[in-house]
Amino acid sequence: MEFLLISAINGLIYGLLLFMVASGLTLVFGMMGVVNFAHASFYMLGAYFAYALARAIGFVGALILAPLLVGLIGILIERYLLRPMHRFGGAHELLMTFGLAFMFQELMKMLFGDYTVPYKQPAYLRFPAFTVFGTEYPFYRLFVGLTAIVLFAVLFAILRGTRIGLVVRAAVQRPTMTAALGHNIDTLFMGTFGLGAWMAGVAGAVGGAFLTTSPNMALELGVIVFVVVVVGGLGSLAGALVASILIGFMTSFAVGLTISLADIAGLVGARDVAMELGSIASTPLSTFAGAIPVLLMLLVLMLRPAGLFGEKL
Amino acid sequence: MTEGSLPTSPVRLLAGERGGWSRRGLVLYFALAAGAVLLMLLPALASDAALGAVDRAMIAAVFALAFNLLAGQAGMLSFGHAAYFAVGAFATVHAMIAIEHSRLWLPTPLVPLAGGVGGFLFAGVAGFFATKRSGVYFAMVTLAIAELLHTLAPNLEGLFGGEAGLSSFRQPFMGVSFGKEMQVYYLTVGWTAASVVLLWAYTHSLFGRLTLACRETEKRLPSLGFNVHHTKILIFAISGLFSGLAGGLLAFSTESANYELFQSSVSAMVVLQTFIGGTGLFLGPALGAFFLTLFGRVASDLTRSWLLYQGLLFIVVMVLAPHGVGRWMVDEAEALAGGGRAALRLACILAAVLVAATGVVMLAELSHTLLSRDYEAIVTRTASYPPIPLFGRSWDPASPLTWLAPLALFATAALLAIIGRRFGQARA
Repeated sequence: MEFLLISAINGLIYGLLLFMVASGLTLVFGMMGVVNFAHASFYMLGAYFAYALARAIGFVGALILAPLLVGLIGILIERYLLRPMHRFGGAHELLMTFGLAFMFQELMKMLFGDYTVPYKQPAYLRFPAFTVFGTEYPFYRLFVGLTAIVLFAVLFAILRGTRIGLVVRAAVQRPTMTAALGHNIDTLFMGTFGLGAWMAGVAGAVGGAFLTTSPNMALELGVIVFVVVVVGGLGSLAGALVASILIGFMTSFAVGLTISLADIAGLVGARDVAMELGSIASTPLSTFAGAIPVLLMLLVLMLRPAGLFGEKL
Repeated sequence: MTEGSLPTSPVRLLAGERGGWSRRGLVLYFALAAGAVLLMLLPALASDAALGAVDRAMIAAVFALAFNLLAGQAGMLSFGHAAYFAVGAFATVHAMIAIEHSRLWLPTPLVPLAGGVGGFLFAGVAGFFATKRSGVYFAMVTLAIAELLHTLAPNLEGLFGGEAGLSSFRQPFMGVSFGKEMQVYYLTVGWTAASVVLLWAYTHSLFGRLTLACRETEKRLPSLGFNVHHTKILIFAISGLFSGLAGGLLAFSTESANYELFQSSVSAMVVLQTFIGGTGLFLGPALGAFFLTLFGRVASDLTRSWLLYQGLLFIVVMVLAPHGVGRWMVDEAEALAGGGRAALRLACILAAVLVAATGVVMLAELSHTLLSRDYEAIVTRTASYPPIPLFGRSWDPASPLTWLAPLALFATAALLAIIGRRFGQARA
């Protein structure tokens, strides 16, 4: 029971963190038709900037400033690196984001070293929020979840309640038609790209302190975020939300799976046969927690590429 | 050239299918011949370490050509090509182990072929699934397949030897021990030459035309009686064959294979090198991969930021010469024939690139040293910022002059670029 409850809360919070990154990716795809391979890099930049700034201006200041810097970088990238690629077609845009992701990873390695940096929340944020089954649940995790919820509420309010939100939603659905109606689609793209980068930056700034901050973090999270947007349906915000929570739960519960393939085979009396496969049979399934989302993405891409909520291809 | 007829001269293919029997064709032939002679004579001139570096560069070139067959010629962008490279490497090590235990008879020079067969078979299966999708979705399927293997491989001991990987020994064959660097080197030269010729012939063939058609007018193919899915699977598998052969050559050279070959940086490297070289020319990707790998070897002794520079180079090439350095060089060579203004323009651009690159390297190396752990330790111990040695002199990090120098270099580069632009465009 304790495992179930704690895993459920952890899964929900991880899912919300994923959504902060995935929402920007899926919005940008809907609008520009570009899958931004560098999107998870914004998450990484958010964490590293916050780490560097926290030493100079304090944790709270860093949480505000770092994502803004990331958003600015996002805007500059869209304006000066992605937009010129547009006339060469989708493949060039894809390649550019791929190259950027590679470059950002190497840049962080060069500047901060090829190891995990000690980015942690300050002492005054380290206290238990509540106690369940005798286990203290850290407040900071709830803070990560709350940040995501507030962000989602703001995003929802902007998209549903304002005129700009209306135009953005129109542009996600039918970019050329929106442009034909006289809206400045270029500025809109740039703004959305910046907004997505900013949200990923927020996720990095708060999440980097609670997960790890290393040059590999973009790659690790990037794969999961791709899974989220594919499962949810590329371009669908609601799909991204549902898929984020789903993947969050899956990841959280998979870590607790201590049975192995050999144990499962043992149920039908084939334990020895399974053991001959080597360590893959005897290691607990939790070791493959990383493979489950990727497998899920492959299945969705093969069987239903539109995802849960996406438009039919 | 009329519709449907094949290009008659190989040089035309080499020069992007639009040149004729010109001076440029002769220059290309001459350059190719000179390169081949140099590769053959290298063991007499260079050390074993240098031979090893050129060996790796040739392997990267074969891998890039195989990748370009799919990404450049067929227009299917794969972000997980490490999978077929690594499968080829493991297949080769398995073949070497089998030979060692006399379970298999295969002449040693043909061992890398096992990698080709492994790559072909695996890419055939993976390609069946991947080519059902196109564009972004295709890219993500390939990425997912490679990522899946990378996660599973360390736990599959029988196939991939777990985290430690597999290793074996090259067996002597017909009096050749294959124990010397030079013997391995010549085998790589042979297989590289064979791959280049075969892939060249492939581009030349009707199926090569069909490959281009997959990129250009996929929708028309069914009406011409072709099964698009089957065609794409075959293209994917052939690309996997040569990728696997490249992986096999690496495994043959190092006598081992490790699950790290599956990691995304291997896939990223071939993408970067191929598109820096340029996909429009047949040899563009090969030359790009060859020289970048070679430079990487040389530069890794001098700097730890080589991969960053390669990433930056990729982005610069994508913005300034989106069709790759190879295509750019051909265009510039054509413009040069036009006269003196073009030469002045080219000189300005090259100078601008050189000056800007110096600025980037200076900025990067200074920040790298300044932020490194060793330097931080010195600062906390001595409470001062010691000067950083670079380009043969030392730079005081507290002095504004140190940081103005790269800025001045960037300004100079910008000025040179503006002057260069005054001399007109390459393609008038």
